[in-house]
Amino acid sequence: MASAARDRTTSRPGRTLVVLACLWLAVLVLAPLAGSTAVSPAEALEPGTTAATIVWQIRLPRVLLALLAGGALAVSGMGFQTLFRNSLAEPYTLGVAGGAALGAVLALHLTPHLVAGWLSSGAAPGSWEGLAGFGAVATASFAGALGATGLVVGLAVRRRGIETATLLLAGIAVSFSCSALILFIQYLSDSTQTFRMVRWMMGGLAVVGFREVLWLAPWVVAGAAVLLALRWDLNLLLTGEELAASRGVDLGRLRLAILGVTSLMVGAMVAVTGPIGFVGLMVPHMLRRWTGSDHLFLTPACLLGGGVFLALCDLAARTVMAPAELPVGVLTALLGGPFFLWLLLARRGDG
Amino acid sequence: MTAATSSDTSEHPLLSAREISWRPGERTVVGPLDLAVHRGEALAVVGPNGAGKTSLLRLLTGLLTPGTGELALEGRPFREFHRKELARRIAYVPQLRPIRVPLAVEDVVLLGRYPHLRPLQMAPEAADFRAVAEALAVVDIEDLRHRPVDELSGGERQAVYIAAALAQEAELLVLDEPTTHLDPRHQREIASLIPRLRRDAGRTVVFATHDLNFASLTATRVVALRAGRVLADACPGEMMTPEILEKLFDARFEIVRPGERPVTLLRLEP
Repeated sequence: MASAARDRTTSRPGRTLVVLACLWLAVLVLAPLAGSTAVSPAEALEPGTTAATIVWQIRLPRVLLALLAGGALAVSGMGFQTLFRNSLAEPYTLGVAGGAALGAVLALHLTPHLVAGWLSSGAAPGSWEGLAGFGAVATASFAGALGATGLVVGLAVRRRGIETATLLLAGIAVSFSCSALILFIQYLSDSTQTFRMVRWMMGGLAVVGFREVLWLAPWVVAGAAVLLALRWDLNLLLTGEELAASRGVDLGRLRLAILGVTSLMVGAMVAVTGPIGFVGLMVPHMLRRWTGSDHLFLTPACLLGGGVFLALCDLAARTVMAPAELPVGVLTALLGGPFFLWLLLARRGDG
Repeated sequence: MTAATSSDTSEHPLLSAREISWRPGERTVVGPLDLAVHRGEALAVVGPNGAGKTSLLRLLTGLLTPGTGELALEGRPFREFHRKELARRIAYVPQLRPIRVPLAVEDVVLLGRYPHLRPLQMAPEAADFRAVAEALAVVDIEDLRHRPVDELSGGERQAVYIAAALAQEAELLVLDEPTTHLDPRHQREIASLIPRLRRDAGRTVVFATHDLNFASLTATRVVALRAGRVLADACPGEMMTPEILEKLFDARFEIVRPGERPVTLLRLEP
């Protein structure tokens, strides 16, 4: 029987993980060299040149952020799809993006002359440092994300724990309320503010430094580690909640753990990048085809594959219209619509 | 199976329910009732739709907590057990539902080992793989082990979940409607499996069923449940009488005895 265990490391899921790890490293090394102007490795390694500055100070943190943010989205999308046993669930299903957007919009409205660290376009200099050493917008957005999740969980808590169906309905209710409040705030704002709000909600990876990367990394790594440690619990959820409970899983605590971990991860990410859509929906699906559904393989595959996917999308977003840049959130949304349709039709096909 | 044989535990039935009732809303679904399950039994729970069979099984496994009364395993109350500790003693196979389970047979059976895993244990151990192999052998589905569960027929999937419950190495197996939706051949396979689980694997089995003949052929004892209460509790030969069955189902039956066990025939005239 030990050979069965050994088979697993050389099995298709194992090989897929190795391929993904190689792709991840390749993207990390090569993507900073590509862009509106390509830089050769020799130029990049020559200190003091403009090319080296662009690669090391601008493009490398951006690629790292894309790798982390994409990983966070895919891992939390995976967690939600397993929790709700629904392939159409994604990280934003419970309104974490709506809460984050509401926080950001509120901050943009209340601080018209202040600049959030990462959002410098067209705004006056002089920045206001938020609680976490970040711009007001990022701080307010993180608070909004956690507030929305807290509200959803609070609404869904029953005497015997959290009910999944109530959770979904509460998520929809909170999302709609956030959207309504955002429209209301936009109506009260002037056109410059409104433009910045719309731009924020497109989601993007522009103008980041290493500070954002260092802020996001621990959330993402810790979140993925917790979900990996819950490997057996998540696999049991695939066979049904009743069966899981009969084996000794505390469903209420498990749901709370998945929700807490994904909300922190996605909230931290959205605070830095704005809501980037569809990665959390698409990537886990694509990866299940190669790694299967065992969360031992699927979790690291999502962390790596989501990062690679978003970094490649961002590479496309900053090259196809060069020197102009497309917000990466717009690009993933453009890809996401058709993918969503395909998913619906494919599901009907094998049903 | 390592059946506990020390003198202090053998005094108690394996599982005992005392005055338990369950009332989720306005209506009492189960009880109040008393029930004892003895080691080595195959206990069938029969009754009309809505009699509370599934709820009773869920109470017996600890999935539901009774509103009143107490459940005990070998005399020790359920509430003194940790969830996983109870799961190492009682395994549950819910009614088969058409949900998609994107895992291979072997993976699903391995999940039966969950209550035996230590916190944060990532990889299964030799004992886990041994339990999986034994369970696959008892249920006779070794040839399916690498197949995706979604590709299997209903009968094969039922066998997989029973194997997973066996891998759990619990002495009490609780099965909810194990033959529903199965064709006669698979019904026969499950029917021949239950005595095997008792005799060869040393398990005690409790199952709910709508199939009176399945109950008559496989059970050592039958409990008739109506409106949450125990209407009758007897061996199949005594239970399968036109009088009891008519009281139970509001339908008339004829009993024939082609062999040792009675066979029931539903009469269609009003």
